[in-house]
Amino acid sequence: MEKVIKRKSKYNKAESRAAYICMLPSVIGLVCITYLPMIASFALSLFSWNGLGNMKFIGFDNYVKLFTNDSKFYGSLLSTLKYAGLSVLGCMIFSLIVAMLLNRKIPARGFFRGVFYLPYVLPAMAVYLGWKWLFDYNYGFLNYVITMAGGNRIKFLDDSLMVTPSLALIAVWLSGNLIVIFLAGLQNVPRVYHEAAEVDGANGFHRLIHITIPCMTPIIFYNLLMSLVTNLQVITPALSLTKGGPGTGSYYMCYMLYNKAFNSHQYGYGSAIAVILFILIAIFTAILFSTSNGWIFYEGDDKE
Amino acid sequence: MKKLISLLLCLTMLLTLSSMAMAEDTRVHITFSFWGDETEAQSVQANLDAFNASQDRIFVEPMQIPNEEYTSTLVSYAIADQLPDCGMVNENAVLYFARNGVMADVSTMYEGEALQPMDCITFKDAGVPVGYSSCNEILILYYNKDMFDAAGEPYPSADKPYTWDEFIAVSKRLTLDENGLHPDDEGFNPEKIVQYGCFVNNWTWQLEVWALSNGGAWFSEDGKECLINSPEAIESIQKVADLALVHHVAPLNVIPEDNGVGVGIGSGAVAMTTDGTWRLGTDFPTLGINYGIAPLPVMKQEVTSCTSGLTGVFAGKHQAEAYEFVKWYTREESSWDSLVLTGIWMPKSEYYYTEEGMKEWLGNDAYPFKDIETAKKVLVDYTMNYAKPACWYFTPNTQITTNEILFTALQPVWSGEKTAEEAINGIYEEMVEAISME
Repeated sequence: MEKVIKRKSKYNKAESRAAYICMLPSVIGLVCITYLPMIASFALSLFSWNGLGNMKFIGFDNYVKLFTNDSKFYGSLLSTLKYAGLSVLGCMIFSLIVAMLLNRKIPARGFFRGVFYLPYVLPAMAVYLGWKWLFDYNYGFLNYVITMAGGNRIKFLDDSLMVTPSLALIAVWLSGNLIVIFLAGLQNVPRVYHEAAEVDGANGFHRLIHITIPCMTPIIFYNLLMSLVTNLQVITPALSLTKGGPGTGSYYMCYMLYNKAFNSHQYGYGSAIAVILFILIAIFTAILFSTSNGWIFYEGDDKE
Repeated sequence: MKKLISLLLCLTMLLTLSSMAMAEDTRVHITFSFWGDETEAQSVQANLDAFNASQDRIFVEPMQIPNEEYTSTLVSYAIADQLPDCGMVNENAVLYFARNGVMADVSTMYEGEALQPMDCITFKDAGVPVGYSSCNEILILYYNKDMFDAAGEPYPSADKPYTWDEFIAVSKRLTLDENGLHPDDEGFNPEKIVQYGCFVNNWTWQLEVWALSNGGAWFSEDGKECLINSPEAIESIQKVADLALVHHVAPLNVIPEDNGVGVGIGSGAVAMTTDGTWRLGTDFPTLGINYGIAPLPVMKQEVTSCTSGLTGVFAGKHQAEAYEFVKWYTREESSWDSLVLTGIWMPKSEYYYTEEGMKEWLGNDAYPFKDIETAKKVLVDYTMNYAKPACWYFTPNTQITTNEILFTALQPVWSGEKTAEEAINGIYEEMVEAISME
């Protein structure tokens, strides 16, 4: 065995050199615009710095202040978790159902696939402005319909408890990319399993539970992970629609760190929030990965 | 021969180019940063062209930065030691820049000049002037004359403002539900209001005036103490919130916009709205409504807030040249046609608030508000007798206190989830800590 490797080593060397050269641009990119800023962020979080004056080392005081004398931090944390929970759950269920419907042989299937994907490619600002007019309390379309039907107006965006569910609804409406990925996954579920199950007398529901969903678990895992990470980093609706309000109702952590760093010029404090958000996302990702072995089914896997 | 000619031609060209370059090098190039849209960029460029043509020592180049990220962009330039030489500065960034050595000393800029900027628009850090606003803007009450006529209601007086109770009473008479009922009528349905009597702009800095009106304040005059938890200040906030929540005379505005005219009178569903005087030039000429102006209603004492951003000189190596340009640029004449006569700016020098001086702008045919008698009372006399500087003229860290902490904390008050007292008590400690931050 050793001989074989030695004989090939010259060729291997050349090949690995090529690989390293090809990898270089992306490694440089990753290091310079991801890892170094991350380390810098953590370092900055130990300082008090307003951007213009001198930096003052204060150890973990920023973190202590966040947890003890900040009227918005816990509200922000809670809103972020609430938003991520609602939108991940909503997006996953909605996208999976729509993908399964679009996977059937229905008339004008291509048209409907386009319709559900369309929101995803629209410019975010335009989407949120449109929804603002739907949700508005005084003059909005939805409340107009509700009062026409004799109901009382709903404070979709003007109530700190309602605002996150309302924004999560927009996220669900925007989840066209998940639908496409699910659809690709559904088309890979082997027909033979379905046919075999049909022969054995399984109905549609049984096939969904015992064939489609198990075969889809790798795709579900991927979508779950991606949408969890994206939704924990939510900022656009807060920036464009609610300015973080009412109160801390949509004062998501990303928005809070942006606001603290770039509007009130507390760069160290903003960095501390970024570090906490990073840890939060890391914890959720770790939980997801650690449970994944238990419920993901890979074809060709020798696991029972 | 041909070769020789072309060689000579090339040489001449090179010489001309190099001499042109050398000629340009004798002027000092400075940059001027500003925010604004394309139209504003054109008017700024026109001003710069005029300055550049007026002398041959300084050449000013514009640097346009989007409004939302203006201050943070300047901060990043400052960190990289690449600041422009001069530029516009947002109100809430003036003391932040001044206290951190970004702004050059301009305290002698108007020494010995005939036109002196008013004291109420002078930014002061611990009493020392650090900058002068480019213009003067005060808060006033706008009203829709057609809606008053339809309700048979006399117009608000230009010199005898409403008391707060009168303001509510008039607003009630102007508020209608879909059946034409007013808020005190039996059967009035607050869920189906089609016309509101008033809208008080609750964008944070515009709220401070109500604390002053109610006999309180947000900050002490030396900018060192936070007084927002005083009963007067808290009551004033609650009174504004109650217009929508209790009296049903104003639309709900939980997440404020910086445009009371847009959400208020401009939408055609509100009869009176409070906002800044720049709306006379920026909004009303295109709104197409028959409007009038009046002083703000009074809670306990008559008062209005004045404010405006400024054009500052940044500390750097071309400070002297930038100083000269800014002095030229901030004269009223430099923006007379584009900003003063269009109604967007009110002049910053005291002279223009005298009998003689006011004729030059209010009396000009180009000025958008034509009723000169009313304008004298509501714009000139009101400024001279009742205008007080907004808190960012003398209080440090308003970019944290009012712009961020207070802005968010007050939203549950506007929606009725919290009382003003609960909201203010919840953030008071944080405000106190923020105001003393370096």
